[in-house]
Order: sequence, then structure tokens, then C-alpha cells
Amino acid sequence: MPPVTLGAVAAVMLVDFELIERARSGDDGAFNQVVQAYRKRILGTIARLIGRPEDVEDVGQEVFLRLYFSLDQLRTAEVFEPWLYRLTVNAAYDYLRKQRRRRESRMSDLSEQQVMMADAAAGGKQNAEETRRTKIRETVDDLLGKISEEDRILLILKEVDGLSLKELEKIYRVNENALKVRLFRARQRVLKAYESQEPEVGG
Amino acid sequence: MDRMKDRLDALWAEYREATPDPEAGPDFMPELWHKIEARRVETTSVFRRLAQICVMATVALALIMGAVLIPHGSSDEAFYSGTYVDVLAAEHSNDYVEALPVGDYR
Repeated sequence: MPPVTLGAVAAVMLVDFELIERARSGDDGAFNQVVQAYRKRILGTIARLIGRPEDVEDVGQEVFLRLYFSLDQLRTAEVFEPWLYRLTVNAAYDYLRKQRRRRESRMSDLSEQQVMMADAAAGGKQNAEETRRTKIRETVDDLLGKISEEDRILLILKEVDGLSLKELEKIYRVNENALKVRLFRARQRVLKAYESQEPEVGG
Repeated sequence: MDRMKDRLDALWAEYREATPDPEAGPDFMPELWHKIEARRVETTSVFRRLAQICVMATVALALIMGAVLIPHGSSDEAFYSGTYVDVLAAEHSNDYVEALPVGDYR
């Protein structure tokens, strides 16, 4: 069966349905190929969702681990991608929940001086382009930090990863209207945060 | 407001470009398979433990039932000590009496 086009940036399916069916029926080699095809995309989404590069691979492995043990529950190969994204979002939620519990103790692990030294060391190695990228990342991360976890994940999937409304419907298992309302509200909230962050742009 | 919206849309695109999808490390796949194997073993051992618990529960139940039923069984020992023919004869001892016609046989 031919691959199908699903979204904008998320684009085409990276494997054909036959490979997914083989992986579903317990073919470890096929599962390996599926992981290799999707891991980069999934790691990218995870990196944007959790914002901690050092933990991206761990969460990615958790996603594929859950995929391995839940593939038999997949109704058809056609819903594979939304299924995988759903597992990704759930794993990211679980990670963020754990992190929230650890956050305070982790912050106290580093003294202010250590943080400043680490920042200075990192800054010295960056070139102009990397500095610009870092600034954008910081701006957006700061902006996303001002809205709820749910809004943040939804906006990253829609605005950054470029998933379509149809895909998001399948991931969130809600109808189009409910999703549009959620998206509208999330956009309003982030816009408000952006206005307060950069008031000079709005004036 | 529209200007802010446009700025924000541009910012999403820049952010997408500033956060490229990372390449997985060389240990990604071996570690993943290691975790899959560990989970498989864990699942198997859970089932094994459940099976052991079931077997132990069955044995315990059998012992309890044995302990409760055996004393009752021993009281009926006399009844069961006879042969099948004895028991049958004892149960139907009145049948012959009922079959005889009522009257004076002298």
C-alpha cells in the first residue's frame, strides 16, 4: 500500500503500511526499521516538548518501548502516526510531571555561581548564528513557560511540528470543533503572554 | 494585534528552524532493545509469580478442604464398611414384606 500524506511539516508517512503490519505481527526486524525511520522526528518533537536535551533519548526510548508493547492494540496501520504521536505526548506529559516534582531539589543542586560559570562557558563557544538560535529558543521557551503544559504541547504540535487538525483530532481523540476551541484559547493565551513579553512590538 | 500575530507566526517558524530534530546516539537502538528485553523478562516473571501464587493457593485450599472433610468422613466409616450387596439388601429389606399378601397363613 502506498504511503499517505498526513501533515505539513510532519509530512508523509515514513514507512509503508506493510512494514507496520509486519511489526504488529511480531517481526522484530520490521519494528527496528520503523524505529529507525521515526526516531529522528520523534526525538525532535520530544526535544521541543520537554526542553531538556540530555533527557530526550531516554524519553524517546520510553516512547518506542510503549509502542513495542502496545502495537497489538493498534486497530489498523493507517492510524499508526497519530498513535505514535499520542504515545509521544503521553510520555512527555509523564516526564514533565516527574520533573515538576524534582524541579526544586534540582535547582538547589547548582549554586548561582556554578550556573553563571556554565552560562559563560557555553556562551564563549557559540558563534553568531548559534547565538541567534539560542536567543530564539530562549524567547519561545520563556513564552511557552508562561502558559499551561496542555496549551504548550498543543501549540508545539500544531505551530512548530506542523500537525494538521485531522491528525490532532486523532491524537487528542476530540472532535474538530472542540479542538478548534482549544487551539483558539491556547493561541489567545500565548499571544497575551507575547504582548506582555514584548510590548514594544505591539505598540 | 495582527502585527503581533504575524510576529508570533514568524517566531514559531524561527523556533522550528532553531530546534532541528536531533540525531540519535549510537547507543539508542541497543539500549532500546535492552529495555524491551528487561520489560519482557519482568512481565514473564510477574506471570510466573502469579502462577506460583495460584498453585500455592490451590494446595492450601485442598489441605483446608481435606482437614474439614476428613473428620466427617470417618463417622460414616461403619456405613461404608459393608459390601454393595449388603447395603442394597439393607435398603430394600421391607420390599419383601410389602410384597406378601395380607391374610392368615395358618
